[in-house]
Amino acid sequence: MASNKERRTAGTASKEHIAYLRALKKHNRFIIAMQLSILIAFILLWEGAARLGLVNTFIFSCPSRMAATVLRLNAEGKLFYHIGVTMLETVLGFTIGTAAGTLIAALLWWSRTLSRILDPYMVVLNALPKIALGPILIVWVGSGMKAIVVMALLVSTIVTVMTVLTGFNEITGEKQLLMKTLGATKLQSFTKVVLPASVPTVISALKLSVGMSWVGVIVGEYLVSKAGLGYLIVYGGQVFKLDLVMASVAVLLLLAALMYYAVAAAEKRLLAKRGEG
Amino acid sequence: MEEFAGYPGAVGPDIKEDETVRAVAELRGASLIYHEKRGETAAVENVSLAVGKGEFVSLVGPSGCGKTSILSMLAGLAEPSRGEALVLGARPDPRTNATGYMLQRDHLLDWRTIEDNIMLGLEVKGRLNDETRAYALELLDMCGLTDFRRHYPRQLSGGMRQKTALVRTLAFSPELLLLDEPFSALDYQTRLLLANEVHGIIKRGGYTAVLVTHDISEAIAMSDRILVFTPRPARLRREIRVGQELLRDAEGRLLTPFERRNRAGFNEYFDLVWSELEGGVGDGVE
Repeated sequence: MASNKERRTAGTASKEHIAYLRALKKHNRFIIAMQLSILIAFILLWEGAARLGLVNTFIFSCPSRMAATVLRLNAEGKLFYHIGVTMLETVLGFTIGTAAGTLIAALLWWSRTLSRILDPYMVVLNALPKIALGPILIVWVGSGMKAIVVMALLVSTIVTVMTVLTGFNEITGEKQLLMKTLGATKLQSFTKVVLPASVPTVISALKLSVGMSWVGVIVGEYLVSKAGLGYLIVYGGQVFKLDLVMASVAVLLLLAALMYYAVAAAEKRLLAKRGEG
Repeated sequence: MEEFAGYPGAVGPDIKEDETVRAVAELRGASLIYHEKRGETAAVENVSLAVGKGEFVSLVGPSGCGKTSILSMLAGLAEPSRGEALVLGARPDPRTNATGYMLQRDHLLDWRTIEDNIMLGLEVKGRLNDETRAYALELLDMCGLTDFRRHYPRQLSGGMRQKTALVRTLAFSPELLLLDEPFSALDYQTRLLLANEVHGIIKRGGYTAVLVTHDISEAIAMSDRILVFTPRPARLRREIRVGQELLRDAEGRLLTPFERRNRAGFNEYFDLVWSELEGGVGDGVE
């Protein structure tokens, strides 16, 4: 980037600057070391407490038993099957949710009147805990993956619509005068200003939607499914296999974290490409 | 800075009371009323004015008096409630290339490079081709911003950003340039430098310009004619023609705003505009 010209590169940096960078790096390493320590200490304490009989492993499980459960599932060829089902449902949920949400937001942006008419419905739908619709979904859509994806969509779409529409309207307020003075049509205002300006908003809506989609999918799996991590958790709970429950939660945790970081990394790359990184 | 040296070769306004000069912009008994839920506000009342080709006219008045509303009518953004607005003898329409409107804030699009930003008007008007693109880049060069073509707006200073906005406005060769306090968001020094530079560009290009400002000295330093307005609703209070002693030096060269500010007689104009504004404020007190 051209702006780097103004900054001095590492090769020509002053002693003080090198010292500053070193201190910065050291501090960052300290932060990461502490973060890892907390995790390791937590696992060790849990495992230790279980081994010493301080906690009942039948109720609380323990890391080694969870690991064994994961390995067993893998050996039976079930681990990646369940992971795959849940991942597919989640990805479908947030991609369709974000796309549909953005599209609906665009429609509502286009017609201020429609937006005003539908406003109370949006507010009420947003306030409703969508999970309450679960049993209705089973009746309407049937059990299985379809119902779960619809559940994820229900949970994620409304939030996306609200977030993206707010973003659209903010940009419009700010840049409308400029586009008017240039004699732009509504479509031009949308494609040249509102939509590109809202890319960061859409991405943060996507991030939100990823989280929402997980909620929808797991709840959906609780209710109807025969496969997936949510199914494993519920099944494990019902037959009192807490090892299976805990192991599934741990895998879920890992997947959710990975997906979040993947989306965050994609966001960073995309914004950097636009010169905003 | 070389700007002190006047503008060799500038066309300059030829406004020696020549009635045959074609009016680029005109208001005829124009009034503008805004309607809101709470009631209506008269922003402009019965204003008539004409701006000749190549002329630089400033609109001065107390803040909030409705100067911007006058620009809106000339730009075709607001239709006069009574009377009429004409640009080149026709009803102003922002979709044509007749008027270029420069706003207080630059409104550059953060995700577009400087080069892509200056093409926005041409794109919207469907006039972007090799020729117009080359012309826009030429204007950019004239503003000394060629090296920043591939930069993004956030990498530029406030003054450079506002110059980019000027290039965006001039890129589609408008017949009439409307400037709505384009320097007021800048620090004082940048403001003076930019006013000087923009004045040079406008005069060299032979553009017709209407400037809204609340800065009296800016108005005197830049314009050929100053129109002073009353507090809201804006009515034309006084027309002040800037004399040749401020416009040109002994050899007939056009003076820059910097040079004008140092001329004898500048302060008399200041006092004159000031007293008109004072009177206006006095009238407005209830």
